[in-house]
Amino acid sequence: MKQLERVWLIALKDLKIFMNDRTAAFFFIIFPLMFIVLFNTVMKGIGGEDTRLELHLATQEAAGSLSYHILGAMETTDESLLKPGDPKIVWDKDYDAARQAVENKKLAGFIAFPADFTQALSSGNSTSLEVYADAGNINARAALNGLAGAISSQIGTNEVIIKASVALLIEGGVISPTDSAGINKAVQQMMTGYFSGATNTGASYITFKTDKVGEVVAMNPSNYVVPGYLVMFVFFASAIMAESIVRERKNHTLERLLASSVRREAILGGIFTGAAIRGLIQIVIFWGVGILVFHVDMGLSPAAVIILSILMVIMSAAFSLMLATLARTQRAAGSLAVITSLVLAPLGGCWWPLFLYPQWLQNIAKITPHAWATDGFNKIMVFGADFGAAVPSMIALLAFALLFGLIAVWRFRTSAT
Amino acid sequence: MIAKDLHKSFGDFKAVNGVSFSINKGEIFGLLGPNGAGKTTTIRMLSTVLAPDSGQIIIGGHSMKSEAEAIRSIIGVCPQDLALYEDLSAIDNMIFFGRMAGLNSQDARTQAMANLKLMGLEERAKGKVAKFSGGMKRRINLAIALMGNPQLLFLDEPTVGIDPQSRNNIYENILGLQKKGMTVLYTTHYMEEADRICQRVAIMDGGKIIAMDTPYQLKSQLGSPDKVTLEDVFLKLTGRSLRD
Ligand SMILES: Nc1ncnc2c1ncn2[C@@H]1O[C@H](COP(=O)(O)OP(=O)(O)O)[C@@H](O)[C@H]1O
Ligand SMILES: [Mg+2]
Repeated sequence: MKQLERVWLIALKDLKIFMNDRTAAFFFIIFPLMFIVLFNTVMKGIGGEDTRLELHLATQEAAGSLSYHILGAMETTDESLLKPGDPKIVWDKDYDAARQAVENKKLAGFIAFPADFTQALSSGNSTSLEVYADAGNINARAALNGLAGAISSQIGTNEVIIKASVALLIEGGVISPTDSAGINKAVQQMMTGYFSGATNTGASYITFKTDKVGEVVAMNPSNYVVPGYLVMFVFFASAIMAESIVRERKNHTLERLLASSVRREAILGGIFTGAAIRGLIQIVIFWGVGILVFHVDMGLSPAAVIILSILMVIMSAAFSLMLATLARTQRAAGSLAVITSLVLAPLGGCWWPLFLYPQWLQNIAKITPHAWATDGFNKIMVFGADFGAAVPSMIALLAFALLFGLIAVWRFRTSAT
Repeated sequence: MIAKDLHKSFGDFKAVNGVSFSINKGEIFGLLGPNGAGKTTTIRMLSTVLAPDSGQIIIGGHSMKSEAEAIRSIIGVCPQDLALYEDLSAIDNMIFFGRMAGLNSQDARTQAMANLKLMGLEERAKGKVAKFSGGMKRRINLAIALMGNPQLLFLDEPTVGIDPQSRNNIYENILGLQKKGMTVLYTTHYMEEADRICQRVAIMDGGKIIAMDTPYQLKSQLGSPDKVTLEDVFLKLTGRSLRD
């Protein structure tokens, strides 16, 4: 009990020192918020809050074909039914005009159903959707690819069911196996039925897809700008505090503590707790400003966002402690803090959303705790996933925290003799 | 306090090379020697901060190896280098270290005020340490060591580089503490300082104790104790002057 009380007293002492330090407060709060404001403004250019993401579709088939029915079902007819973040589906009736629009950079891209779509599906041949997009517009391309994938998988699922149904019809003697025209008609009817069925629910067909696609960029850039900078600055502010821990060692106050009745674990625990409380203050301010000023949307699971934030704080505090035990001088601790923060932040998706990176870079990014954290935030806040989707990120952050913490304890034991 | 055959090397360098001495209860014991003699290293080992390579330490009947915790609860340390939180006030520093020594909040505050008063700093209690003069910081550094009423006090060059007024204040306080029954280990490289307040002194050089006795006895070996200084004793023993 006494040792726990001392942990708390050491943390309080650190907080008191921190509160007196104006430069520290600047780096903790003001500086990060300046970045958020700046980048939020810049990112608005990619997708402003009021302009909804529009996904264009077209078909090369004639009226009455299967793709006509699908497009009819998917097209957004009443925009007021869309939820924030839902894309608007636009049906471009003229395929050639749409192509021209992309060439002229008037349109970022569109998905087209091929001329043989109905024929291929009813005869069981494969066919492919065409994504026609401006190569430079990564966001639009990613979104269109995602949507195309979703449409194909939906069609694929339906096809399996339809084939099974047709087989049943043949077996039951309703259609003759040699009557290919009859089979075609049945398939087409059923396929159309599946897609027309979606019309009743309006936008719900697309909403369902949006979850599955997972690549539709959110409309409010704050939804990834705020978490990105939260991750970067919580880590940075914490890491930079390693310098003050080393300073404590240099100031010989650590020596005084070592000669007093405080256990070594309690000293380490106190420093850690102080760092964690500072981080918690930081995230409360971040989310407060994010929600009140930038209208960030915590998605389906605010709980996951909060847990991720807290784990981010714990991991950062552990990192700071590790850095302090590894660095010999104040200067070394400070430089290491700045370097690791500046390298890990962009690599871990704090500056640009990770899902825009090429796959190989996304894989490398997984070695950073930042990537796990931003990935978790993005899943919830950008892609509208639920709590479960963020669990791997939570586990990874916890693992990083444990690793850093163990190294710190081990170094502290061996160096403070 | 008993120290037996302490050794400590940093790499190949033997900073402390077989040091043995003991201090009686209620005594002010001086550890003298030039810079680099190994005084601070010895104190760091005695105050449980640094593990000796070999040797034995017993304080208040507790062995360092098995009862370091018990030793920590009866010692107070005033390190050679200022060990203060510059960004906190004097009183906050005192209370914090008092609580670390195991005092409750009430006792820590009472003792902090009493010790600040002792050091003549009660008016500056709420002042930030960073704004204090060197002498004032030294006095706070010493005052913190008194928190928790330790039985044995380690003072490592508590008067280095300060004004005569602060220095005299510190001398008086050390003598006052002794009257209250405190045992003191005092290191310094000012020989006249040791002569003035210590009952017994050990002279250290190159990691070894080269002489140990009362200042009077040490000086008598050279001549009339009134005319000889400990400085001369050191010169005689090592062939070197202290201040070079
Ligand atoms: N942590 C350390 N690492 C390496 N050398 C050290 C360390 N601490 C002390 N020394 C060396 O040990 C010698 C004795 O130092 P110290 O005990 O501080 O002497 P004193 O206090 O008598 O001036 C010095 O030469 C010093 O450079
Ligand atoms: Mg010294």
